[in-house]
Amino acid sequence: MVDSVSPPKINGELSAMVQRALANRAHLARAATLRDSMLLMVLAGVWAFFYFATDGTFLTQRNLLLLALQTSIVSLAAISAVMLIVTRNFDLSVGSAVAFVGVILALLTVKYDVNPWISVIAAVSGGVAMGVWQGLWVARIGVSSFIVTLAGMLYFRGLSMIATNGATVAPLPDALTDLATGFLSPALSISLIVVFLGGYLALRISELNRARSLGLAPQFGADLFSATLPAAVATVVGIWIVSRQGIPYLVLLVAICATAAELLMRRTRYGARLYAIGGNPEAARLSGINVKQAIFWNFVIAGFGYGITGVALTARVSGAIGGTAGLFLELDAIAAAIIGGTSLSGGRGRVIGALLGALLMGSLNNGMSLMNVPTFYQNTARGVVLLLAVAIDHIGRARRFGR
Amino acid sequence: MTGDVAPAGSAQDADRPFSKWAMVAGHLTKSFPGVRALDDVSVSIYAGEIAALLGQNGAGKSTLIQVMSGFHPAGSYSGRIELGGNDYRPADTAAAEQAGVVLVPQEVSVVSQMSVAENICLNAEPTRWGFVDVSLRLAKAQAALLDFELDVDPHREMGSLDLATQQLIVIARALSKNLKLLILDEPTAALTERESLRLFDRIRTLRARGVASIFVSHRLSEVFSISDRIIVMRDGHIRGDHVTNEVSRADVVAEMLGHARVETQSRPARRAGDAALEVRRLTVFDESAEHRVKVDGLSLAVAKGEVVGLYGLLGSGCVEAALAIYGAWRGVVDAEIAVLGDPVSVAGPPQAIALGLGLMAQDRRDCLIQDQSILDNMMMATIAKGIGLQSLDIAERRRLAISLMKTLRIKAESVDAEMRTLSGGNQQKVQIGRWLAAGAQILILVDPTRGVDVGARGEINRIWSRLSENGHAILIASSDAEELVDVCHRVIVMRNGRKVGELSGATLNEKELLRMAADG
Repeated sequence: MVDSVSPPKINGELSAMVQRALANRAHLARAATLRDSMLLMVLAGVWAFFYFATDGTFLTQRNLLLLALQTSIVSLAAISAVMLIVTRNFDLSVGSAVAFVGVILALLTVKYDVNPWISVIAAVSGGVAMGVWQGLWVARIGVSSFIVTLAGMLYFRGLSMIATNGATVAPLPDALTDLATGFLSPALSISLIVVFLGGYLALRISELNRARSLGLAPQFGADLFSATLPAAVATVVGIWIVSRQGIPYLVLLVAICATAAELLMRRTRYGARLYAIGGNPEAARLSGINVKQAIFWNFVIAGFGYGITGVALTARVSGAIGGTAGLFLELDAIAAAIIGGTSLSGGRGRVIGALLGALLMGSLNNGMSLMNVPTFYQNTARGVVLLLAVAIDHIGRARRFGR
Repeated sequence: MTGDVAPAGSAQDADRPFSKWAMVAGHLTKSFPGVRALDDVSVSIYAGEIAALLGQNGAGKSTLIQVMSGFHPAGSYSGRIELGGNDYRPADTAAAEQAGVVLVPQEVSVVSQMSVAENICLNAEPTRWGFVDVSLRLAKAQAALLDFELDVDPHREMGSLDLATQQLIVIARALSKNLKLLILDEPTAALTERESLRLFDRIRTLRARGVASIFVSHRLSEVFSISDRIIVMRDGHIRGDHVTNEVSRADVVAEMLGHARVETQSRPARRAGDAALEVRRLTVFDESAEHRVKVDGLSLAVAKGEVVGLYGLLGSGCVEAALAIYGAWRGVVDAEIAVLGDPVSVAGPPQAIALGLGLMAQDRRDCLIQDQSILDNMMMATIAKGIGLQSLDIAERRRLAISLMKTLRIKAESVDAEMRTLSGGNQQKVQIGRWLAAGAQILILVDPTRGVDVGARGEINRIWSRLSENGHAILIASSDAEELVDVCHRVIVMRNGRKVGELSGATLNEKELLRMAADG
């Protein structure tokens, strides 16, 4: 009699049976691809429209860089919004928290003449502390994140006003302002993009290699091609855009944060935990996942996001305006995440989608401004786009599940 | 039997197919406030054995398997458990899984948005250089699926698979983790017959590997066809422990019921009038998977002044049938329904209420607003009528609520008392009052005395008799045989979505009900 079941062993060499079974699964593709490509198509349609409506101004290198810059703050906030919504949590406090971080940075540098870099570290630490604070209320005490962050939205804004007495604190030292408004030289930018593409491809190839060594990817060439093509297209477009002015440092920051977040969400155990918690908290708990701890760190990461976003925003406008900095940022971030396919009921959502969502909203703003459409109309259009995006997602998903 | 009697390795007996203990539990006692759920229970399972755990609701089955699977942590009960000869004291379900004991709950718990591979490796993802090794995860999942002979694409989203497959994947996942004891809590309750066969087919393969299985079930036919041993529980004790082919169904049923119940005298004489509710060819489909039929062509009629029972075990479809007649089922429903002889269509609860129907759902929490008063809860069905612009007759509402409270003998300070302050029995009475206030003539009740103490239970049962004498038609869907035998004129028995028989008069007794509902 066998003592107990020995789990199947896989050491590089997999049984021929597994290989055969997996060889029949032609697709390494994900179900989400369709949705992502739909978002891309909508984006392409919007861009084409603005291209003709602005006599080509919209699709110039100059304007696309401006668009990327305009989108950067919302993109930063959208990254942590995705991570929280995936676990069925909300963050309504982003805008106020970002303003408060800005106030810390501005007061330290302008009023107390602290070294700019030490001030940045202090400001980011302040953001992390806010994340820890909110995480404790949600994970330890069990108050719903909606309430905790709604309260945060109010008192972080209030504290920003109290600390500055409602006045603008400006201007920031040039070192910081330059960073937010500066560009990497075109040559360096292009090489960086190429290195980034190289890194991405190396990662894909290493994963495909690994899959092949385990007998999982018989059509190596096809898989590599489908992974490479979009990246190559994006690289070419990217190189064209930056070839004149280079990459703005701020956009570089977004790219770094998004890559880190994407890796964390898609390629670490912690990320898998977040998706599981959002998808089915009970299943997650029964699998031995420490749900409270994961949620707590979720907020700490969001706090780090406040820090980064706050510093970036404050440096960009070269000063802290306690009352209005980051106003409605939380709503823009949530909207971007949702347009990008993040499900409000949890368990679904990707950082890359949220960036596209932010880009779509940013494109509408930018394009309509170029067309001299009044602000009121801009808001209306953004609202309609948000509604349509979510409705299309809902209908598409309902059809896929046969309902 | 004590905890340390495991004759480890000593049994050379060729007659017995099993020779090695998987789990030995001795003198388990576990109490909850007001009830001793397990009272000095000792039970042992051989490696490779399939044991069926039987018992009525509240017999202690759930508590026993929860203790075994670490749901109740070691220390929260007395007694000791050995697993494979070693002391077994799990702090939680994760620790139990680590040790090789896995509970597959009745409601399969999976992350439906994630792929099969992601689910199988959940919280045990293989990593490489600190990152999840996606390829290895896929390979491991595929290996686990093949190992259990499941032909499922590991890329597929879990939610796109049917329940049985999800359940099998959960078992495959457990198998990939050095499984010693598999516990299945009513695994077939939500499955069709074909799916059940598939599940059991797989469970048999575990026997060859020396994995012990315990499964809880109400279906005697499957218990007798698959298990090696049958363990019967009642009132927190083990009342029977038999090798399956050495015991008869009748004996098992007797042990479950405990005592041959005397025919009750309280059953009202039948005084049926004209048909109040007629249902023909009722077919109810699952709300998420339309090919799955929950109720298949059920026909029934309830006359004025008649109390009709609809009896079936979990998953038999009687709850679904009751909800569907009231128009509250969320899935597709197909039926011909007539009320007082006129064909009607019940598109939803508003139409049902307008036709004079009323429903008490299975879970009180679905029907009552705990933060609101008795008055508000009682008047809830009356405010549903019309378009909502009529002014409320405050005085009349209060008068009606007070008089109903008196008639139904609801024990509370006043009609303004919050629902949460009431006992289960009194809460149920408020629900009855609600339908009387709305003038419902046909009452559909689902497990009306669930979680109600014995005293209140008798009182509520007497209310049904009184109402039927006043000409109300009452349909009770329940899995509580005792209750139905006490109050119904006749009982329709369901199994696997179909009507399998009807009992009335002298033939209506608990034993016969249970036999019909469980026999496959």
